[in-house]
Amino acid sequence: MISNQSIPREIAISLKNVSKYFQGNKIIDNVSLDIFSGETFVIMGCSGSGKSTLLRLMTGAIRPDEGRILIKGKDITKISLEELDEVRKNFGMLFQYSALLDSLTVEENVALPLKENTKLADEIIKIIVKMKLSLVGLRGFEKHYPSQISGGMRKRVGLARAVALDPDIVFYDEPTSGLDPVVGGVIDKLIKDLSEKLLITSIVVTHNMPSVFNIADRVAMVHKGRIIEVNTPEGIKNSDNPYIKQFINGLPFGPIDFFKEDIAIEEILGL
Amino acid sequence: MISYIGKIVIETFQAILGVFSLFFSILYWIFWGPLKKKMVRRQSIFYQMVFVGLRSVLIVFFVAIFTGIVLAMQSAYQLEKMGAVIYVASLVAISLCRELSPVLTALVVAGRVGSAFAAELGTMKVSEQIEALEIMAINPVRFLAVPRFLALFFMLPCLTILGNISGIFGGFLVGTGSLNINPDLYMQTTFKYLELKDIYTGLTKSFVFAMIIALIGCYEGLNTKGGAEGVGRATTRSVVISFILIILADCILTAIFYFSKV
Repeated sequence: MISNQSIPREIAISLKNVSKYFQGNKIIDNVSLDIFSGETFVIMGCSGSGKSTLLRLMTGAIRPDEGRILIKGKDITKISLEELDEVRKNFGMLFQYSALLDSLTVEENVALPLKENTKLADEIIKIIVKMKLSLVGLRGFEKHYPSQISGGMRKRVGLARAVALDPDIVFYDEPTSGLDPVVGGVIDKLIKDLSEKLLITSIVVTHNMPSVFNIADRVAMVHKGRIIEVNTPEGIKNSDNPYIKQFINGLPFGPIDFFKEDIAIEEILGL
Repeated sequence: MISYIGKIVIETFQAILGVFSLFFSILYWIFWGPLKKKMVRRQSIFYQMVFVGLRSVLIVFFVAIFTGIVLAMQSAYQLEKMGAVIYVASLVAISLCRELSPVLTALVVAGRVGSAFAAELGTMKVSEQIEALEIMAINPVRFLAVPRFLALFFMLPCLTILGNISGIFGGFLVGTGSLNINPDLYMQTTFKYLELKDIYTGLTKSFVFAMIIALIGCYEGLNTKGGAEGVGRATTRSVVISFILIILADCILTAIFYFSKV
């Protein structure tokens, strides 16, 4: 493991006082965060807490209204689309619903970033695609279309595509949601293997607690657009923070209150 | 009420701006992209050409041939009274080449192809496929819109020529079959009055219509919001807006050709 805290580590992604508004609502509220090279950093939080927005800010899909985002020291908030594309050649991303192109086969999907962003010969691309597909255990499905394979397999193809260019940073948006526990475990193991073997910096957005404890080097808890704690998985497990306690135990009542702003059921029934 | 009108005006203005910016970025990728070694994939242009062109042949053929038949019968109804039935031939040919074939072909293609563009790109948008392309540093306009634009730009005039020919053939069937005009005489009269400028004004129109259909279809698709319902809305809008713009552009172009005596 490389999570040796005593060595000064290179910062892969740095967020400095980042805020983002949607239609007047502050979705991301003054977030500052450093993610180190080679670590697996998990962002967890409830639905609507802003964790996916945080991920999309880091990939440059949306730009912040305030603050700066540095990828390996380069500010991506004020650069042109072309410069952003150069930065993005070091990115891979696994989407929540895989986001494979329907019109292309499994093989063509994985080959796409290689064909578009490198000058490699077709034979070499074929070999790389075979390697990446065997990495996720999907040799023999090259000619299938995304609609012909299961959701878990699509996720794995998405993973093969995400690492096709041997990126430095891979983003995972809810990698295990919608999958059965076993396939979820397989995806977790793949994420862990990739980050350890290829020294990839992984940023994982999830609310699946087993995943968090399986793969994370560090965990950040997001609530209402703010980061309320950054800690190791053990630290999170033993945290006294009532928000985190409620979240990791999945309790309906607590400081994260979904019922507070709604009318109580008694009131609706006129009791 | 005023705020509602204001909202509509602003949204319309934004849409017009959006369509123009899409147009300029398509032009950028066609002319400037190759210099920066960012080629549009030939394979996908050909794929789209087959979809746009070859697969529309049958429907364009049928629409044009029946239009030709109807046109011949309707004009014969009036020309018979003046004993000028022979002029059915030139009337059919000129009105088809100058006006009906470009417009009807464009409307058919807008319904078949423009809506497919909007639906396909819209589905890609709502299922995060467009965002996935962006993360892979692949420009969606270059990758998706440019091949569709080019395919339509080259195929719609071809389909219009097919429409011209099949429409004239429809008129020929009525003229020789029911009006008892000698086939040779029919063809002679057709080409006697049909000038080259009639054909190329029609084709000029179809180039403009092709741009309208491709731009509206791609713009609506790439700006789809909100799931399956959004895809449906984008598809409908693409057809409705293309139809209106095609008729409007036809009116403007006809006026230009008419007043400049082309």
